[in-house]
Amino acid sequence: MKGKKLWFVIGILFLALVVAGFVAFLQPEQKKWDSTETDYALDGCTVIIVGKNASTDGSVMTTHTCDCGVCDWTWRAVPAADHEPGATRKIYHIDQFHTWPPEQGLKWEIVKNNLTGVEISQPAHTYAYMHGAFGYMNDQQLAIGESTIGCRKEMRNPTPSATFDITMLTLVAMEQCKTAREAIKLMGTLGEKYGYGYTDTGEMLAVADPDEVWIFEIMPVGPLWTPKSGKPGAIWCAQRVPDDHVSVCPNESRIGEIDLDNPDYFMASPNVISYAVEKGHYDPDSGKSFSWKRAYSPSEASASSSKGSRGRLWRFFDLVAPSKKFSPETPNMELPFSIKPEKKLSVKDVMDMTRNKFEGTPFDPARGLQGGPFANPNFLPYGFSLDDQRYNTPRVIGVNRAEYVTVTQCRDWLPHPIGGIVWLAFGAQDTSCFMPLYAGITRIPHSFEIGDHWEFNRESARWAFDYVDFHTQAVYSLAIKDVRAAQEEWEGRAVSRTDSTDKVALELYKKDPAEATVYLTDYSNNQANAVVNAWWKLGDDLLVKYNKLWIYDAETRERNRLNFPDWYLKELIKHNQLVPEEPEEKR
Amino acid sequence: MKYAKRIIFVPLAIGLFLFSSVSFSAADEIPKASLPVLTTSAGQSADVETLNVICEEAGIPYDYCDVPDVDLIKSGVGLADKVSGEGFHVEVNTDLNEYPKGTAYKTIIFAIGASLKGMGASGLTVDAEISRLKEIIDYCKKEKIFIIAMHASGTSGRGAPGSDNEKMIDAVAPSADYIIVSADSNKDGRFDAIAKDKGIPITQVDYALEIVDILKQAFQQGE
Repeated sequence: MKGKKLWFVIGILFLALVVAGFVAFLQPEQKKWDSTETDYALDGCTVIIVGKNASTDGSVMTTHTCDCGVCDWTWRAVPAADHEPGATRKIYHIDQFHTWPPEQGLKWEIVKNNLTGVEISQPAHTYAYMHGAFGYMNDQQLAIGESTIGCRKEMRNPTPSATFDITMLTLVAMEQCKTAREAIKLMGTLGEKYGYGYTDTGEMLAVADPDEVWIFEIMPVGPLWTPKSGKPGAIWCAQRVPDDHVSVCPNESRIGEIDLDNPDYFMASPNVISYAVEKGHYDPDSGKSFSWKRAYSPSEASASSSKGSRGRLWRFFDLVAPSKKFSPETPNMELPFSIKPEKKLSVKDVMDMTRNKFEGTPFDPARGLQGGPFANPNFLPYGFSLDDQRYNTPRVIGVNRAEYVTVTQCRDWLPHPIGGIVWLAFGAQDTSCFMPLYAGITRIPHSFEIGDHWEFNRESARWAFDYVDFHTQAVYSLAIKDVRAAQEEWEGRAVSRTDSTDKVALELYKKDPAEATVYLTDYSNNQANAVVNAWWKLGDDLLVKYNKLWIYDAETRERNRLNFPDWYLKELIKHNQLVPEEPEEKR
Repeated sequence: MKYAKRIIFVPLAIGLFLFSSVSFSAADEIPKASLPVLTTSAGQSADVETLNVICEEAGIPYDYCDVPDVDLIKSGVGLADKVSGEGFHVEVNTDLNEYPKGTAYKTIIFAIGASLKGMGASGLTVDAEISRLKEIIDYCKKEKIFIIAMHASGTSGRGAPGSDNEKMIDAVAPSADYIIVSADSNKDGRFDAIAKDKGIPITQVDYALEIVDILKQAFQQGE
């Protein structure tokens, strides 16, 4: 009897602990504001980086989930060009976030009015490249992915003395550089000479070529900088990701201690340490090594302490090295710069990783009431405030406000026009579809060049994907299965066709590179147009199938009920105080 | 040795000339401002951080709140011991020995610049921000609090006619007692026109750095 009582008490205590743990999970944030002075862009983008010996096929990969929600999503293919001696390139201010109503014109024309007054020398030849909000890939297989990392508030320079912003730096790098190292040096020195910042704060770029990939981080040096000061107008640092490693940047500075005596792995501006000393962010007499991220973008947050809103870093390492059992309690700044993955990653693995929504973790946003009866992971992606309390909700990798997502592949065994691929998916990655754009193509579909958040447009490719996304939300757990089937059909097929496409292009290239260019341009455009058309059709099909929150089966011409899960019905009974019907015999 | 002297003297002379030309041309128009001072934002852009850095560099002790309402301004120095939270930031840097908590502010400096992101973080719409600014300005006029309007974010920070930025300019600049503007922000002469129309002293600078000396002079005169 005593034993039974003891087990009963232990059981009650255990249950109490479980309940307390769950309640604590959604408790309001006690610390309302990060105690550091870092200005984080919590709603920014995620970059995943894969070294050539960490991928299944030897490609170097970068990703960019352009998680804005209100930004311009249009793309351009900029042709290569030759320039006369003495030619110059005008530098514009390009705000990542600013958009204009379509009747005022398209962003990439309007920004040309935002002249900074600075013109830089144009080389004899500039490379062809593709860009969206940033430059992504040029015809030399230089590839870039971007994530805002913030900086100490007093470092921001929103004045016009900061000539370059991060978008403009990436465009110039695409035009002028063949390798990651060249691009980093060029962007760094332009920032130093002409000032960096304006509408941007601390920024991270993954800069890749077919041989290697680097993390490049650049920050402004405060609003009082002028080009007449004789001091650098930017501070930057870059670290190479080892070839057999993978890494990630989820809006947090990733570079810690640096070793400038090892130029194969580190590069930096001349003020990289002196600026921190001058501003009191690092004491060389402290006995501690200089840490870039602790000096300029410090934080003590972890996945757990932030209730999952800063969980992407932990989640990435947990996915690629599960046996290490990284703890969500570990402060993000103590997680590694990069890691050797336990399994090499394919391009499909990387695409899937961009869609990760923390499934099966304590931060899974689809669980319980947050996801609703149909386990929708897209509710409340920003957290919420109620009764003067702030509640965080998890910020997942595959957040549904993506303008588009890129996965770039640089492959050193192929000529540049064939070796480089930008896999582009418009809109939210869970309901979108990656389409291949080879580095050597000379045009992209017109539907990629237009569109706006506030005006539905059937001519804009992006709206096809939003159309599907919208029709997936109401009955997410069911509709997402239809979407995944379509992704497998279109995206899966494109991935598996890459080898044969490469082979045909290579044969043509050997005969005449121009023929390969025509072939790849046609292939990329045809594939893109076919996917866009398929997604419009998919949106129509979803509308019909889940119309009125029933299931209309087009094959059997039957209408079936939606099945709500038991847990939801129990909550409904409790919350709405429903009473069961009386048994028939009692009526 | 002779050349060494020249090497030192020539840049020194040029520097002094440039410095004095800026200072003197501005000095005629720089009105006096008095402590204690509150810095704040009109439009919730990062420009208010520029303003705070300028004040720190100028050695001007200030209180700061990004979204104060009239009641908070009425509470004076110390900002009623409010604590920063999401979308609401306060700093108290005023010398409390000289100006104890509750001392009425004599100057408010607005950093003009609209940011939908910033307003969103503070739970404000453009209309709500304009309405908040109007109430504050009405209060300042009533209490004879000196208003300085600063716009330093340049052409791109201006936006098209009718833009959110332009609305913030309209909400603050015509009611200011003094306008400080960067040349890049005033390329179309908009601030000159407002200053001329309303008879407001205006100083134009090339770089935000120059505002440090201007504010130093303004507050020294007010001592």
